Amino acid sequence: MSTPSSLESLIEALRCLPGIGPKSAQRMAYYLMQRDRSGAQRLADSLSLALGALRHCQRCNTFTEAEICDRCLSSKRDASLLCVVETPVDMNMMEQTHAYSGLYYVLMGRVSPLDGIGPRELGLDQLLARACDGLVQEVILATNFTNEGEVTAHYLSEMLKNHAIRVSRIARGVPVGGELEYVDSGTLAQAVRERRSLSE
Amino acid sequence: MTLRHKVDSQPAFVLHAYPHRETSLIVEVFSRDFGRVALLARGARRPRSVLRGLLLGFQPLELGWAGKGEVQTLMKAEWQGGQPLLAGKALLCGYYLNELLMYLLPREDPHERLFSVYAETLRRFAGGMLESDLRRFERALLQELGYGLTLESDARGVPLDANGYYAYEIERGFVSLQRPGSSALSVSGKTLLDLAREDFSDPSSLAEAKQLMRALIAHYTGGAGLKTRKIFMELQEL
Repeated sequence: MSTPSSLESLIEALRCLPGIGPKSAQRMAYYLMQRDRSGAQRLADSLSLALGALRHCQRCNTFTEAEICDRCLSSKRDASLLCVVETPVDMNMMEQTHAYSGLYYVLMGRVSPLDGIGPRELGLDQLLARACDGLVQEVILATNFTNEGEVTAHYLSEMLKNHAIRVSRIARGVPVGGELEYVDSGTLAQAVRERRSLSE
Repeated sequence: MTLRHKVDSQPAFVLHAYPHRETSLIVEVFSRDFGRVALLARGARRPRSVLRGLLLGFQPLELGWAGKGEVQTLMKAEWQGGQPLLAGKALLCGYYLNELLMYLLPREDPHERLFSVYAETLRRFAGGMLESDLRRFERALLQELGYGLTLESDARGVPLDANGYYAYEIERGFVSLQRPGSSALSVSGKTLLDLAREDFSDPSSLAEAKQLMRALIAHYTGGAGLKTRKIFMELQEL
């Protein structure tokens, strides 16, 4: 007996999820159709709702349903600070610190030369326009401390340096509460190289 | 290669890494004794994986792996250290080196000399990038791959003249030109002799050597534009 074509296309569609191979996709499809048809309906509805409603905030590029997201419109945020992060998850992490009250720009990726992702693919001119709104005085580069994150930060600092905006990079080093004995040598080595003077 | 083997404490550099499944990585590495190898780093993308943050490009590592087939399994990775992380322009140039190696180096083809030139180039990059380091690396790469330039004599076996001008014909050699510029790829004899001695103190030799290397690499990479070069140019456009 062959699989009906609608079931087959459901299995095929589920495989677009990360980490889902043919076996898992088949299991999910049978589960949804066999045991949880209302759950399947909810999934279908919320997928099409999200697809229709979600878009990128015109100012910070994160996901929002409105033209401009609530955070960008909030009067409590410091509009002179702009923090650049790679993903919305990174932005949430920054928010959880309660240490930052400025605004954000979410790149939705990073420069990755070997994957052919450059400034054009990332739409960095949109960030440049955002940073040059006249209110932003400092751009904080909070991209990851991977080679790709560093290349992105380097690129952004070059891009912004001619625009009379202060550009800073978040610090890296030994984690809070970290004991040198247990810190990995790469981090420690870099922390020594990037040590700061205390005699100011 | 179907032979099952086990490799331990092998000096290596990560060239590139791709996500694989939910939590793993496929890492392309350049190792001293085995050349370019693809390794599966199981669970390397889990939040608490010891490999996370370790499999970073441009840093000297010691790797251990085992298995058979084209992609083998990474068993152990140790950070060797001793050089700062690359930054700025040197980082972009590092990517260029990696792209060249990924493009031109066949898998599992050991190139011990090239490995040491690569390691040395990265060490120099850490202290700030120099054009001459790039030229030295490109020359070593072509030489190792068997595309080496004959920099003593022209295609007819006549010794190169420092005051002469030459055109390079791929796979044939340098052909003497009557006057400079009569070929798209014309280089002075002095540049070629400087390149042979790896003496890049003369800015015009360095500039000509760059054009020559660019043309050669474009030829051997099949004319496909290098991604890192494209991104480098976008950076210069700012």
